[in-house]
Amino acid sequence: MRNISHLTLLLLLTAACSEMNMSPSSAVQNSNDYFGSTYEPMESEPTLFQSANIYDGLGGELFDYDLLIADGKIIEIGQSLDQSGVKVIDASDKWITPGIIDIHSHMGVYSAPSVSTSSDGNEATAPVTAEVWAEHSVWTQDPQFALALKGGVTSFHVLPGSANLFGGRGATFKNISKNTIQAMKFPNAPHSLKMACGENPKRVYGNRRQSPSTRMGNMAGYRNAWIDATEYQEGMQELDSDDRPKRDLAMDTLKGVLDGDILIQNHCYRAEEMAMMVELSKEFDYKITAFHHAVEAYKIADLLADEGICAAMWADWWGFKHEAYDMVPANIAIIDQARNGTGCAIVHSDDEVGIQHLNQEAAKAMSAGNRAGFEISKAHAMRWITSNPAKAAGILEQTGSIEVGKDADVVLWTGDPFSVYSRAEQVFIDGAVAFDVNDPKTQPVTDFDLGIINPQATRVQ
Amino acid sequence: MKYLSLAFVIIFSLNTFAQSILLKGGMVHSGTGASAKIQDILISGSKISSIGNDLIINGKTQVIELNGLPVTPGLISPMSNLGIVEINALDVTRDDESDILKAGFSIFNAFNPHSTGIPWNRSNGVTSAITSPGSSDFPMFGLASYFILDGSLEIKGLRDVAMFGRMGSSYGSRAETLAVLESLLELGQKASIMPVEEILEMRLAEQLELQAQDIIALNNLVNNDLPFVLETNRAVDILQAIALKKKYGLNLILSSVEEAPMVINQLKASNIPVIIDPMDNIPDSFDELGSSLILGKILDQAGIKIMFSTQRSHNYHLMRQGSGNAVAYGMSYESAIRGMTNTVAETFNLGNRGSLVKGKIADIVVWDADPLEPSSFPKFIFIDGKPQALTSRSTRLTERYTDKDDKPSSYKH
Repeated sequence: MRNISHLTLLLLLTAACSEMNMSPSSAVQNSNDYFGSTYEPMESEPTLFQSANIYDGLGGELFDYDLLIADGKIIEIGQSLDQSGVKVIDASDKWITPGIIDIHSHMGVYSAPSVSTSSDGNEATAPVTAEVWAEHSVWTQDPQFALALKGGVTSFHVLPGSANLFGGRGATFKNISKNTIQAMKFPNAPHSLKMACGENPKRVYGNRRQSPSTRMGNMAGYRNAWIDATEYQEGMQELDSDDRPKRDLAMDTLKGVLDGDILIQNHCYRAEEMAMMVELSKEFDYKITAFHHAVEAYKIADLLADEGICAAMWADWWGFKHEAYDMVPANIAIIDQARNGTGCAIVHSDDEVGIQHLNQEAAKAMSAGNRAGFEISKAHAMRWITSNPAKAAGILEQTGSIEVGKDADVVLWTGDPFSVYSRAEQVFIDGAVAFDVNDPKTQPVTDFDLGIINPQATRVQ
Repeated sequence: MKYLSLAFVIIFSLNTFAQSILLKGGMVHSGTGASAKIQDILISGSKISSIGNDLIINGKTQVIELNGLPVTPGLISPMSNLGIVEINALDVTRDDESDILKAGFSIFNAFNPHSTGIPWNRSNGVTSAITSPGSSDFPMFGLASYFILDGSLEIKGLRDVAMFGRMGSSYGSRAETLAVLESLLELGQKASIMPVEEILEMRLAEQLELQAQDIIALNNLVNNDLPFVLETNRAVDILQAIALKKKYGLNLILSSVEEAPMVINQLKASNIPVIIDPMDNIPDSFDELGSSLILGKILDQAGIKIMFSTQRSHNYHLMRQGSGNAVAYGMSYESAIRGMTNTVAETFNLGNRGSLVKGKIADIVVWDADPLEPSSFPKFIFIDGKPQALTSRSTRLTERYTDKDDKPSSYKH
């Protein structure tokens, strides 16, 4: 039965592609074949970390263990592993963690220097711009990528800004600077769709005397778009291609969400607005993957845990706008501990400095949680910057933890990764050394950095 | 109630009964740059009456055993918007800008001791702060004041302790900014020999729409050693600023200075203190291409006096994390502590605060662990010798939402 349906599909596709004018559905199908990842891991050699302390990113910790990586993957975790034929790194008194992952970055779309010509993150020309893709804005020579790498960041999710109700698609990258965007894209990572609640969209469009100018206007804007998307999704199921609607980029994105292929990353600060977005997702039968910023997530922690929605938060930002007024530093811990510890908490940066120190941000959030009466270990808190963001980016099967078979995205820290004094000594991406603090030749330098202050030098070493 | 820690309870019993307080056996970082050592601190009234080992006390002294916990002076933010900005994006809550005044714009009378940022920063160890006007297109934004963050309506502090300004990339040429700055300084020079009214009638003063307050402030800047905090980053701009200091005899402090390492010898020779954000290594403009995490180390090794700003508003205590990162990249530990305390007090002439020395005002923080670790937190805080609660809106909200009682949240208080 399965074989037959496969064959039928194949025939249909062949038929569609043979036509001069491709049918809408095949075009949608094929759109996934364009702009895809061409990422190739750098060359690597089998490497054994000896006598390391390991936070596995899932809540576990191992003391004085060996870790073997080869062919880009994690091969073995154990004690007294065979060291013949592999490069050996003495990791005693050092720490190994999974590569750090940031679920909320604007690197590449708001590059440094922050000048008008590199402000490419908000297509703030209409409240619904689900048709734009953040990756189409990314500047591959943004010097911020390399700075984040020095902070242990091996993967990051680039989102459009929050000016619009639907800001466009986000994409996930491996943190290896290449000179095409596709060569940096994380293989097989799903797209996301950025949605935004609250002050930003209503301010941007309200100032122009157009909708939305209120929070209720925001809600009406989302609902109208989902009504269109539902109709589009149904229309695309018509057997006769002539009955299908004309292909629409924005609707493709919304349909992708309804089909379960595109993950919703939802900028939202206030508790009642997040609850309203949950209701909206039920009205139109889609899933919210994560709320971002979520300064008031702690007020609805149980709801988020029940719905299986992650919250990506700062450790302590507040006060810059009204919806960020009720900050509590235990927010992350409260989300984590909701419903007997089943909540999904993420520490995100949304910031080119913060992304370099997500370990320190997690340290602050952990200690604030413990002051509020929880008992959260470092091993547990490590999840907030590794496996949980991997889950929210849809890449947990490939990365985000130290487990056999996963991508060898790992950081060797000079000491306790939760200490301000520790630094990423070496960062491995797919088993290759992407950054080595002691070897300038293994520190990426973008085109931008090269000879810009002094023609003989690089910008920073 | 679990949030009300033992520290909280001790503090309130102290507040009520004790006449003097002995902080016994803490690891004392004096803020003067001296190495830390285990010492006792005796607080009598508002002052540190004694500091040393095995201090003699009477029966009315409350003793707090610190068992080696770190003790520092209360932290002093050298540039904040505490008390004058409640919510950045809401203009109606901001008092940091003036449409009429320029160099003479003083924010002193706008200070709100009940602003929520005050208990939050205080509970995180910042016991006093310099609050400065927001930046403007004009090269001088106005006058900053110093405030003790005890939340009292009887505002304690010092009015108009420094002028703040900026030089660098803008929509006009920096050459013009520099020319305007020089012209203003020349008006300031004239203010010592000419009446304010006559200066106001001068062509330049009229063109720049200066007011009497502006001229008075310029007079203080040029003739009375008022500290002048000038934000600048590009190496060559730093040299221009050094030249301005020499030419006009300014009491100059430079802030940001991301390209300072390129002109470190000239900066050292100029004796100019600096305010830096050690975590800002982003080449965020074409003025800051040399930005890096080793800025603090290079300044420290040159013996330059360093203070710390923070990247974002509302969290001035994060200068601890900033200076911790500076130490991770090579700054000395005691320079970091000093930069958050005594260097600020000395640079801005803040009087008897900023160090743990006999006779100084007792603004003191006892930490639960290394104060340069972002995960550490104050255990006891004293301002003017008085114990401060660690309560803030944040702790109230946390208590409310970790209370598992079935009542609606609005009935949990």
